[in-house]
Amino acid sequence: MSPVIDVCLLDELPPGQRRLVEWEDLEIGVFNCAGALYAIEDRCSHDDGPLAEGEFDEATCTVECPRHGSLFDLTTGKPKTLPAYIPVDTFPVIIEGDTIKLEVE
Amino acid sequence: MATPDTVTTETPVVTENEQLARINSDYTERFGFHDAENYLYKAPKGLTRELVAKISEFKSEPQWMRDFRLKALEHFLARPMPTWGSPMLADVDFDDIHYFVRASERAERSWDDVPADVKKTFDRLGIPEAERKFLSGVGAQYESEVVYHQVHEDLVKQGVIFLDMDSALRDHEDLVREYFATIIPPNDNKLAALNSAVWSGGSFVYVPPGVHVEMPLQAYFRINTESMGQFERTLIIADEGSYVHYVEGCTAPTYSSSSLHSAVVELIAKPGARIRYTTVQNWSTNVFNLVTKRAVAETDATVEWVDCNLGSKLTMKYPSVYLMGERAHGEILSIAFAGAGQHQDAGGKIIHAAPNTTSNIFAKSISKDGGRGSYRGLLEIAKGAHGSRSKVVCDALLLDEHSRSDTYPTIRISEDDVNVGHEATVSKVGDDQLFYLMSHGISEEEASKLIVNGFIEPITKELPMEYAVEMNRLIELQMEGSIG
Repeated sequence: MSPVIDVCLLDELPPGQRRLVEWEDLEIGVFNCAGALYAIEDRCSHDDGPLAEGEFDEATCTVECPRHGSLFDLTTGKPKTLPAYIPVDTFPVIIEGDTIKLEVE
Repeated sequence: MATPDTVTTETPVVTENEQLARINSDYTERFGFHDAENYLYKAPKGLTRELVAKISEFKSEPQWMRDFRLKALEHFLARPMPTWGSPMLADVDFDDIHYFVRASERAERSWDDVPADVKKTFDRLGIPEAERKFLSGVGAQYESEVVYHQVHEDLVKQGVIFLDMDSALRDHEDLVREYFATIIPPNDNKLAALNSAVWSGGSFVYVPPGVHVEMPLQAYFRINTESMGQFERTLIIADEGSYVHYVEGCTAPTYSSSSLHSAVVELIAKPGARIRYTTVQNWSTNVFNLVTKRAVAETDATVEWVDCNLGSKLTMKYPSVYLMGERAHGEILSIAFAGAGQHQDAGGKIIHAAPNTTSNIFAKSISKDGGRGSYRGLLEIAKGAHGSRSKVVCDALLLDEHSRSDTYPTIRISEDDVNVGHEATVSKVGDDQLFYLMSHGISEEEASKLIVNGFIEPITKELPMEYAVEMNRLIELQMEGSIG
């Protein structure tokens, strides 16, 4: 059974918004793409720099690495443009009552 | 010239100074001339948000491209200049450059419609003649824009698109938008951001599935004015099972002030396709040549970069291939020739991202008269790319005590079942080699040329014959006066 952690209340993450959470040495970005919630590791697979604070496009459900511009699909973790070519980890998002939770392993 | 008494030579006796003077006079005569400026528009020096918006407006671009440019400008302004590569980078003055110069109304389809001065220039460079003899299509860029573009009718009938990039954006917007900047995003590096903000001209090539373009397509890039910035953008898509060979050449007049050439080139080889991209770079020695070139090879596809760097003040260029599909193959053949005052920082990058992929990097540099040649390369094998094979060979030849060669190879391997070889040599033209050849009645200068030609022959033999002949001629020209 994977550990489950609380992210925030559902109301606190409206569409178009994101939130960063930490669990042990993991940093994870949680995104609300038009009502659907996705979580990816906050680490670009190109050079290990931070990823989740890059430009978030809700319409295409992508985030752009702020360092070298790779565009990541938040639904799969796969890069849509180079220079990154390896997918980043994704995490299942669970809604329990009014709380957003993450399975972190 | 020190020659053994027993050897006679037919080489005319000229002093070293005369020989050096001959090099300069030849470049000026063949490539270094410049035309009078009869431009439709010449932007004042310097880069502003208003200028970027104006370039987009001049070209009547869609809003998304205008937004793309302006965002790229922000990236460019926010990023520091790279601190690696060459100390010469510090000499690039971004405020002392004309970022956009328009020489003609449009890319013409007949040389007769190209402005007379400009046509005369391309005549002198031999482009129309080459087009008639052995090319499938030609794009000729003068300053910021393409002034002539033509492709064989039979290729058009087969669905091949070969256009200047501005026309491609206008006529095939959806296709351009699907692939543009997916291989090199604007924020990839500072110079790619600059190109993305002010790009103009370059080529767009699309080859439909199964179509083989038998004769090369060529682009020729010419800078004419002083303190010019040329920022062409090229995108080549070879669809499944197709083949294309694209060749580019470039020259400029010699000025005391610096010019900047900063291109972005993206190649996409779909499954089973093959792209060969050949460059013969012969900029004048006042040009900073800072270029980003990258390719993707999908399953069973092949991408080959043949990259010859002779001219420029400083070149920093590392063509790369991402092998994304199983059994894809990448090949980088690089020649760099660094003479007085030049730094050629060249090499290549191969990323094995799929199983059973193969690659070769063969790099050769020649340094003389205090020039500096550097090999900078990356070979990366990702986790899961099992069964991959790669060979990296970089050789440097030093022609005198004052010249310099550096090698910066990086190899990262994250998979066990792979086969990787790396060889590097640095050699100096030795007295024993020269003496051996001279004892057969060959002059010292001729012997030196023979040694250099033998050194680069594995790469020049990969060039189309017409370019191999030109390449050898250029190398010989560079070699004149190297033995004092």
